[in-house]
Amino acid sequence: MNTINLVLCGLGGQGILFMTKALSQVAIQKGYDVLGAETHGMAQRGGSVVSHLRLGDVQSSLVLPGSAQLVLALDENEGYKNLPFVAPAGRWFVNISSPSFPGKKVKDYLDVRGIQCRGIPASSIAIAMGEPRSSNLALLGYLSAFGEDPFTYGDLRLAVQQISPDRMREKNIEVFEAGFKRGIDERRSVRRA
Amino acid sequence: METREILLGNGAIALGIVESACQVVTAYPGTPSSEIVPEVIRFVKAGGFNTYVEWSTNEKVGLDIAFAASISGKRAACCMKQVGLNVAADSLMSCAYLGTVGGLVIISCDEPMPHSSATEQDTRFMAKFAKVPVLDPSTPQEAREMVGVAFSLSEEFKVPVILRPAVRVCHARQSITYRPMAEGKRKADFGRNPDRWAATPRFRLTLHAELNEKVMEIGKTFDGLSAHNFHDLEPGKKYPLGIVAGGVPYAVLRDILREEDRTDIPVLKLGAPYPFPESLASDFLSACEKVLVIEETDAFIELLIRDCYKVLGRLTGHIPREGELLPQIIHRKVSDVLSELGQQPLKKDEFAEAMAVVNSLELPIRKPTLCPGCPHRATFFAIRSALPKAIITSDIGCYTLGINMGAVDTILNMGAAITMAAGFYHSFAQDGVAQPIVSTIGDSTFFHSGTSGLLNAVYNGAKFILVIMDNLTTAMTGMQPTPALGIRADGSSGKAVSLERAVIGCGVEFMEAVDPYDLEKMNEVLKKAAAYVNDPGGGIAVVIARHPCLIAYREKALLKKKKISITEDCVECNFCIERFECPAIFRDQELGRTSINQQLCSGCGVCLSVCPTGAIVEAA
Repeated sequence: MNTINLVLCGLGGQGILFMTKALSQVAIQKGYDVLGAETHGMAQRGGSVVSHLRLGDVQSSLVLPGSAQLVLALDENEGYKNLPFVAPAGRWFVNISSPSFPGKKVKDYLDVRGIQCRGIPASSIAIAMGEPRSSNLALLGYLSAFGEDPFTYGDLRLAVQQISPDRMREKNIEVFEAGFKRGIDERRSVRRA
Repeated sequence: METREILLGNGAIALGIVESACQVVTAYPGTPSSEIVPEVIRFVKAGGFNTYVEWSTNEKVGLDIAFAASISGKRAACCMKQVGLNVAADSLMSCAYLGTVGGLVIISCDEPMPHSSATEQDTRFMAKFAKVPVLDPSTPQEAREMVGVAFSLSEEFKVPVILRPAVRVCHARQSITYRPMAEGKRKADFGRNPDRWAATPRFRLTLHAELNEKVMEIGKTFDGLSAHNFHDLEPGKKYPLGIVAGGVPYAVLRDILREEDRTDIPVLKLGAPYPFPESLASDFLSACEKVLVIEETDAFIELLIRDCYKVLGRLTGHIPREGELLPQIIHRKVSDVLSELGQQPLKKDEFAEAMAVVNSLELPIRKPTLCPGCPHRATFFAIRSALPKAIITSDIGCYTLGINMGAVDTILNMGAAITMAAGFYHSFAQDGVAQPIVSTIGDSTFFHSGTSGLLNAVYNGAKFILVIMDNLTTAMTGMQPTPALGIRADGSSGKAVSLERAVIGCGVEFMEAVDPYDLEKMNEVLKKAAAYVNDPGGGIAVVIARHPCLIAYREKALLKKKKISITEDCVECNFCIERFECPAIFRDQELGRTSINQQLCSGCGVCLSVCPTGAIVEAA
């Protein structure tokens, strides 16, 4: 198996750890060796939080910039900060808050490298559903709509179900589904156009 | 329990401890070591073992307890962060001389960068200082294996052994396969031997000689410790450059060289760097014209190699002398050295361009702040309002973040809020200056090393206000209980030690407890405390600012949530943003107004008394 590198980023309290767990769960069930790195301690108090996840025969828990097939950002600015991790032709999925995302300078950079950029207003979706802390689930669901192996819709959904605490399970799946639907709609409209 | 699970590095270490049938585990929490004890407890409970596990009040206490267990014949482990080993250094130095009976493993977690530590110190130097072996794992899996190796070494050579995982091991997550675990069954058996266990200086010389002997022997053992010390030289071949690496940098280097398919560069991995495996290193050095040493957190192996003509590293400026050796740094530095030696460099790193694009965006830096509703914010605000001219000494914990509010002037180490306040008092008093001084310390830090400083300050007649910020938990490191709660590491009940009685026991004669959420009352108590301090017959005034941490106690910490809004009376003076610094109060750029982020707001309502124009109100 080839090495798959992921970087997940956002701010303290946004549920980066949960996303990391869900993705790790899927990977381990598909037989990957999993290695990852997390932020703890001081940096968690509202500061930037980054989680690295590496699948395959690796020993370093940190991703080398320019080699992540996928970067998931729960905050737009944190997404920009971690853009250097995205590999050429990699994917960059961001919870967006501003209409101008990603801006011309960044767009030029993405185009030259063939990076696939996708933005979803995950926070707005989660807030509208009465779950302001669940933007991570909307983003995961959205990702699953573009499900590239190993992170396909069915497997990610199952992982979310498995790792959600009982009292949150139903709501988590609802927000996950809303993100998924958003992704599917985007794919349909692209096909139509 | 499943056979394979993704464990935190600290979980893998905990697994190693339990698999080694360790019977006594002590620790004081500190990033990045804090999760070891909870994971030990999880495994112990799953196995139904009677392992003794405690959160000790500090690292020295913990190590002393583990040492006594060791010389009772049991296996014992003591866990801490790297600066904790400074606190335990007195024990460490001495127990290295006395030796062990049951295996004694000290786990001291290093933190390059330093993400949440006071220094970037390298525990390997502490090991060498004490003349005890040290193991330096590269991955969680290796850390787990090394715990077992450490216990065996400790019993074979009768010496404590240090495991020093760095943060990227402690806080890495890795899929780990379980093996059977068994309960330690050794019975405590202390063989009286005062010449050793109570050695007077005369016998210490003999013990030192014994220890030196052990160091020589263990170095030879490390030459052949092939699971953790190895190289990939081809026999007889000469190389222009070889790389020596240990710990996390080895893992990074190994992945980079594989990714780039650079089998032409030999690597000597030293997972057991001290006592130095002289013969193994000498084989490697003689096969390579130059040797680059990549290690964290300081130049250690580089010094032990003792060949300054051949060795490149931190001392020669080829490797950064401080900070974390991130993959991109190792990639660039290895490539630079290859170029310098006329060898083929690594492939071009393309992320430099991305960095340039990102830098041009001028993104805001997110600094850590006290959480919305944090009782410390209220305490700091009250101190600044009541005693604007005070020197505010502070300490290690979440409340370090009071620095954002301009409410922290000094941070030295655990307990120094009190000792430094005494130092300031005597320095100013000597000149006849009545400088107001407020010392701020958390409840757990007070129990860790505050009491001896307070006792000393009272005894020597210092005068200042000591605010003990009692949030009823050890918040920064993940909500471990404090002695005042009467809850022990495994959740069972212990005897609660009253904070008030500890304070009074130190000789303090003014003490009041107050809820800092009540800013008015807090202000009043601080003024009263100041009056006591200034009174010729006064002394140290202790104010216990007590309110539970909102993260630890959730709804129990906030009986009535208030809905906050900002009225038209706001004159945009920015006082609340700068002085109160609550993440929920922000300047809405679109509206051009100061606003409340309702998602972040905890509803604590402390800000209601903060606004100079009374524009922050409780919504109907």
